[in-house]
Amino acid sequence: MSEYFRKYIKKEHYSNHYSNLKFKTSFRNCILEALKRRQWKEVEGDDWDIMWAEKEWIHEVMDHTHLQPNQKINHFRNHYELTRKDLMIKNLKRFKRNLERENKMEEANNYNFFPQTFHLPSEYPIFCEEFKRQSQNGESKTPWIMKPIGKSQGKGIFIFNKIQSISQWKNTLRFNQEAQQAESYIVQKYIADPLLIGGKKFDMRIYLLCTSYQPLTLYLYRTGFARFTHHRYDNEDISNTYVHLTNVAIQKTSDNYDEKLGGKWNLQTLKLFLMTKFGQEKVAETFYNIQMLMIRSLQAVQKIIINDKHCFELYGFDILLDASLKPWLLEVNASPSMTSNTPIDFELKCGLLDDVFTIIDLEKVLTGNEEQIGGFDLVCKGNPIKLPLNSTFTTYLGSFNNRQQQLKKIAKSTALRLAQTYQEIQTKSVGDGSKNQKEKEEKEKQQQRSTSKGPQSMQNGINNKIGMQPKQNSIIKRNGTNLPALGTLQYKTNVKRQPLQNAVQVQPAQIQQINSNKKINEEQTLTPNQKLQQLTIDNKLSTFQPYKQQSQYNDVMGMSNRNLQRNEE
Amino acid sequence: MQQLDNQEILMKLKASKQFWDIKKKIKQGFNEQLKIGVNDIQKFAQSCEIEDQLIKLISHILKKSKKRETLKEDQIEFLNTSKIKWTELLFKNLDIVHQKTKNQEEDDTNTDSKLYIYDEKNLLAFLQTFKQQQSNSLYQNVQFQSNKLLNINIPLKSSQSILDKYQYLLLQEELQDDKINKIRKQIENEHLDIELEKIAQNFVPNGERCLLYLKYFEFDHQETVIQQNFAKLQKECSNQLFYDELLEIDGHEISEDTFYFVFQEQILTCLKCFIRDKTIKENIRIQLQSGLKKENTEFQLPVAGFFPFKNISKYVAPICYLSTKIHIIYALFKEFFCRYFCFLHSISSENNSILALCMQIEEIVSTRSPKLFHHLKVIGSDTLKLIMHQLVYCFIGDMDPPHILTIYDQIIGHDSLEILIILCVGFLNKYKPKLLLAKNYENVQQIFSELREDKFQELVQFAYKQ
Repeated sequence: MSEYFRKYIKKEHYSNHYSNLKFKTSFRNCILEALKRRQWKEVEGDDWDIMWAEKEWIHEVMDHTHLQPNQKINHFRNHYELTRKDLMIKNLKRFKRNLERENKMEEANNYNFFPQTFHLPSEYPIFCEEFKRQSQNGESKTPWIMKPIGKSQGKGIFIFNKIQSISQWKNTLRFNQEAQQAESYIVQKYIADPLLIGGKKFDMRIYLLCTSYQPLTLYLYRTGFARFTHHRYDNEDISNTYVHLTNVAIQKTSDNYDEKLGGKWNLQTLKLFLMTKFGQEKVAETFYNIQMLMIRSLQAVQKIIINDKHCFELYGFDILLDASLKPWLLEVNASPSMTSNTPIDFELKCGLLDDVFTIIDLEKVLTGNEEQIGGFDLVCKGNPIKLPLNSTFTTYLGSFNNRQQQLKKIAKSTALRLAQTYQEIQTKSVGDGSKNQKEKEEKEKQQQRSTSKGPQSMQNGINNKIGMQPKQNSIIKRNGTNLPALGTLQYKTNVKRQPLQNAVQVQPAQIQQINSNKKINEEQTLTPNQKLQQLTIDNKLSTFQPYKQQSQYNDVMGMSNRNLQRNEE
Repeated sequence: MQQLDNQEILMKLKASKQFWDIKKKIKQGFNEQLKIGVNDIQKFAQSCEIEDQLIKLISHILKKSKKRETLKEDQIEFLNTSKIKWTELLFKNLDIVHQKTKNQEEDDTNTDSKLYIYDEKNLLAFLQTFKQQQSNSLYQNVQFQSNKLLNINIPLKSSQSILDKYQYLLLQEELQDDKINKIRKQIENEHLDIELEKIAQNFVPNGERCLLYLKYFEFDHQETVIQQNFAKLQKECSNQLFYDELLEIDGHEISEDTFYFVFQEQILTCLKCFIRDKTIKENIRIQLQSGLKKENTEFQLPVAGFFPFKNISKYVAPICYLSTKIHIIYALFKEFFCRYFCFLHSISSENNSILALCMQIEEIVSTRSPKLFHHLKVIGSDTLKLIMHQLVYCFIGDMDPPHILTIYDQIIGHDSLEILIILCVGFLNKYKPKLLLAKNYENVQQIFSELREDKFQELVQFAYKQ
């Protein structure tokens, strides 16, 4: 968790201290909680460093807004090329065709992870032909599924196996001219032999973070879910949507929805089941195929998506396994649900988001070369990353999520690295002998900044890379100005940092000077009202942690959910 | 023992793959000689070094042809009378439970989900009554006051021999891929019980377990028969029984277990079929309750011949990790229950019976960890009371499914439940330091309500730790 970073890294070693960062979001679920847990400040206006926006905002506002260099936002401009059902299929088909044209047949054959799909009404004639052809060949038993474009959570989906049902649907459209424009559908060959567990159908939700399309940089989260339908699967009964659709939103309306466990397995439990049933090798292969499927679908849109250094995107992939363990891509969500229905779910999603924020690295403490950050593993940087041959894994997807231990480790090493860099800068500055002059300059800068509130103006003085000496100094001073209730906070951090202080030898005279500067600045800049406000924010943060205890157990022990449930009882 | 039917033996021989292999070899060896006597075969078998194989095959077929009869009477008379008493007691409990459900129907607000005919605590309490009975009849026990909860004169194996038998598990290591593949092939081609048991004793790769179990229970070529039988039973389930209600309530606990909630429906279906299955009476190795027809009672024993008890669902749950087909799950569960788990609910002096297992555990703990044994006694939480749940339910719910299935492997491998003794001893040893600090029964309860994760190999190691 990011708290390890807060614990191990000294305040003055940050390029951009977390207490200076501001966020904006309209979400009030795990997203808000995760943002708050990082001790960032919530703002209403345009003065933000990170914004977790709804998709609509991107479409409506982003094109007319000029983003500051430091600002980050959670969607790419034309993400719909991947996340709208019809466009995704179009792009995948096109990419496959191009590969075939370039005679890369082997790679083209790998793009067989989506079912046969047509866009309606535009491809209606082709679909009808295909439907007839299949019925003549005796393949008509496999039903087709109609999905409205642009609707989510399973709304408007229906399954059919007679062409009449669809002609009826088409007729109603003809009568209603308005609807025809609004409602375009895709029709997809239904995967009729899905893998059933406990007689139930399920699909998987897996999270993939894209931080850049040029070079394609992807992080895959180790934990995901398997979401079960609540009724036994019956291939004959196609009218009962509960049997066929696994969306939580649909399942919730079903009577025997299980509130306690949310009708979900985490990916680790699913993997355990599959390994027990099918054996290690086959499951390892399946999970590797899933990882490659996800990378391939992003490669297919890599050249279409407008790359933007302000943007990152967390995708929720919906993947279905058939009886032979072949993964099928159902859809990609640009705004995977971050609402939780159980305490474990809540902690999982907050952890996931926390790791996303760590990777985005607004504090600018990471090197960018980390292969694992929290529960995320780097799976692609330009090209897909292959694990060493002697590794026991082919993918980390679905393996034990050791994010706590890993974050602790990475926070420690980062703290050491930052301390060393800081020390180097300090010694350099002493050697230059121009300390007094620089301090003067810094004071001037400080005065300038205190007049402007925008993060952009602050950012002007900060270089992304640590190592630019004068800017480093400026950061230290700026931190001082913004820190609330410094007395208590600093005491705590000092206590926590003790083990590291031995490792880092900062010259005592300099520390004294920095500290005295901070105190002065703090008193000067904070009005009593501001202090009070800061204090209440801090208090809120410490109390609003509804499921903290369970998560700690979970993270420390790496325990199974089953035990957690018991403890909760 | 039934008389052997030669025709049947021959049929079984022909069903076996080895038979054809050996026949082929013999045919080649004799080069189309017309008359072949038994002596010729013996000589030939010796010369090609297939004599052992031939003997194993024939003895295997003979063993299979013998029908193992259900144990109805025990050699110790008072256990027979106890079984009748136990059954009577259960009938009484059934009446109470029935009354409770009726009351619940009238008053919806008072829903007591803990309705069951008996649980492991009831069973232990009943076993405890034996001590007093026997000490009255056998006066030598009066003079020698034992600290043990159960001290009955039944023939027992020596504890040391059991410990020695399973000591090889300490040396078990994870196997390399090539060896796993070798074992996989072996399972695919092997038909002999002894060989399958050997594999089960050592290492069963994930994914191959189902086949091994099916082969061991001789179901490997009978899938359609299994499926048909199951379909018939499912049809019978349309007639509602009072026991169905109890089974549904029983499933609630499983529905709260992350590993098993997905299977709740399948488990319930299996159990509903199970209590209606007439073939269980013939196949079960030991009669659990003597089917006395009691007058003035509304209910009879279920067709299966015994009462469903609390947490019966637990026995089905791990098997759901073996197959996605419900009829296979049912067939495996039925066989496991009829061969092994039935002993965990039997009032008997058999080596596998709950009585014998409990006494072995007490014996080992009292001699190897006397301090712990005494301490538990003093604080009013006897060793057996502590371990009874894990013992009766084979650690299901305490370990992850793959570990439970490893226990199942061992049960098949040794055709015995003795592995549970080792695991229970290991379990107690693992928590020994904490248990020694406990001052009362509540403290002990607290230790076990804390988060814990037990693993098969770990408990085995603890069992041999001094």
